[in-house]
Amino acid sequence: MTTLTAPKAAERVRSAALRGPVLGVVGVVGFLVLWELASRIGLIDPRFFPPASEVLIRLGEYLLDRAFWRDVAATMWAWFLGLAIAIVAGAVLGFLIGASRFLERFTQSTIEFLRPIPSVALVPLAVLLFGTKVQSELLLIVYASIWQVLLQVVYGTKDVDPVADATAKSYGLNLWQRIRYVVWPTTLPYLMTGIRLAASVALILAITAEMIIQTPGLGKQIILTREGGAATSMYALILATGLIGVLINLVMRFIERRVLAWHQSVRMEVAG
Amino acid sequence: MKKSSFFAIAAIAALALSGCSDSGATPSSTNTGDADAPAELTPVTIGVIPIADTAAVWLGKDKGFFEEEGIDLTIETASGGAAIVPAVVAGDYQFGFSNVLSLMVAAENLPLQIVSAAVATTGDTSKDMGAVITKADSGISDPADLAGKTVSSNSIGNINDTTVRDVVDGAGADSSTIEFVEVPFPEAIAAVENDQVDAAFVVEPFVTSAVEAGLNVVTYAYADFDPKLDIAAYFAKNDVDADLLEKFQTAMKKSLEFATDNPDEVRRIIGTYTQTPPEVLEKITLPLFPTEVNRSALEKLAKAAQDYGVLSKTPDFDALLP
Repeated sequence: MTTLTAPKAAERVRSAALRGPVLGVVGVVGFLVLWELASRIGLIDPRFFPPASEVLIRLGEYLLDRAFWRDVAATMWAWFLGLAIAIVAGAVLGFLIGASRFLERFTQSTIEFLRPIPSVALVPLAVLLFGTKVQSELLLIVYASIWQVLLQVVYGTKDVDPVADATAKSYGLNLWQRIRYVVWPTTLPYLMTGIRLAASVALILAITAEMIIQTPGLGKQIILTREGGAATSMYALILATGLIGVLINLVMRFIERRVLAWHQSVRMEVAG
Repeated sequence: MKKSSFFAIAAIAALALSGCSDSGATPSSTNTGDADAPAELTPVTIGVIPIADTAAVWLGKDKGFFEEEGIDLTIETASGGAAIVPAVVAGDYQFGFSNVLSLMVAAENLPLQIVSAAVATTGDTSKDMGAVITKADSGISDPADLAGKTVSSNSIGNINDTTVRDVVDGAGADSSTIEFVEVPFPEAIAAVENDQVDAAFVVEPFVTSAVEAGLNVVTYAYADFDPKLDIAAYFAKNDVDADLLEKFQTAMKKSLEFATDNPDEVRRIIGTYTQTPPEVLEKITLPLFPTEVNRSALEKLAKAAQDYGVLSKTPDFDALLP
């Protein structure tokens, strides 16, 4: 019996795996057609919102332009640095706070107060401290993305199975071993979720900072094209930031799967 | 398998990149990177807004006028004077660019002085780089008609709404009945066409775009206010090094004179630091690049600004001007 059902299941998985991308492509094409039509029939003024075809052609030109790639590199470098600082600082603080009930109570109200402050509201402070240098951009990125990591790690440390912890204790594992074999494996999926969320937030803040503070990167170019009245170029750059966002999410999911290949959440996903 | 395909993609990307053109590259004849600069050059940073008004300083750097004076000039850009003034006060930038009224307001509380002229109205009341635009059928044909209407500008309590109010009052209407709203220049034409505002103050390249789109110009407010009005200026702290100041002023004067004599070079250089399309750049009205600040026009502006509550007291012009 099992030999009969197995191929069927595999087939179902394969067709589902195919249907996803096909539907996705149809969705994207549909969106582009709608955009093209809205602009062509004058629903929105093509001077201010050019049709999709023109924007895509402009994007193609950008892809062959080294100046564009320098801006992409500037944005991605700020994104990477900011994210790296947020991950390290957020994880270290998260483990410390999660490990101590005293620290948790001591910091909770402060965190709950600081966390909702939108990072963008700190632009004046950033400019005051660092002017229009890249540090201003980093301040905004780190401030926005550190909470995603920190809170996930704190939740993760809370999720440790007390039975497993007691078992480890009764087997005579010391503190370091318990962190390594009990706390760490429990927290890792939370940390990875935090990193994935932080990666998206960091990109948003990188672009925002470049638009407002004018640090080098795609955000600054968007403002320059806007002020130059170059609508087609502006939407091509906006499209580029969207594509980078998609790419970041794909890469982060890939890393998450690799790192958590042993974890049941990923194993279940593969099996189902 | 996965890894090798990743590297293959990376290699293809690298190859593709090496075949790219480069729109941001500076012409090689003028590009003397930091490494090539002689050691005795003094590093100086200036904060400017990347608009046509600052063309002279970009040209001066491009043509080596600052290097000739022993200055290794770095031009930092900001989206508005609001970011430049604090950076100059903090000493991150030695010099900055700001519109003259914002500068007078800032100088009320901060130790700032104007060190060089930067940009002025063409003085031509039928062709200038700043204008109030409206729809052809709006019924607004001269400044007096603006009374009681909604007019947009990029920021309120600034040189644009102050000059517009003065022009309207000068036409015999009551400018206090105008409702000013903030709309950024790039969105102003759409705001006028969609009837979100009755009229809008815009600067180039949007004046040209508006006229081409069939909109009417109500007033070239800068030129109508005073044909000698300086729109913006370069500034520094009061205690800026006297020797450096003199070198900067010499280089700046050369740059402004060069910009005045070479409008084609001005259009070319604007294309390097803005994203205005070349076909639009050919058509825009360039401002003037005077070497001297016109004091009487600024005094008139300060008085109007005081009348409208933008400025709280008369600036000390002897201290403020170079």
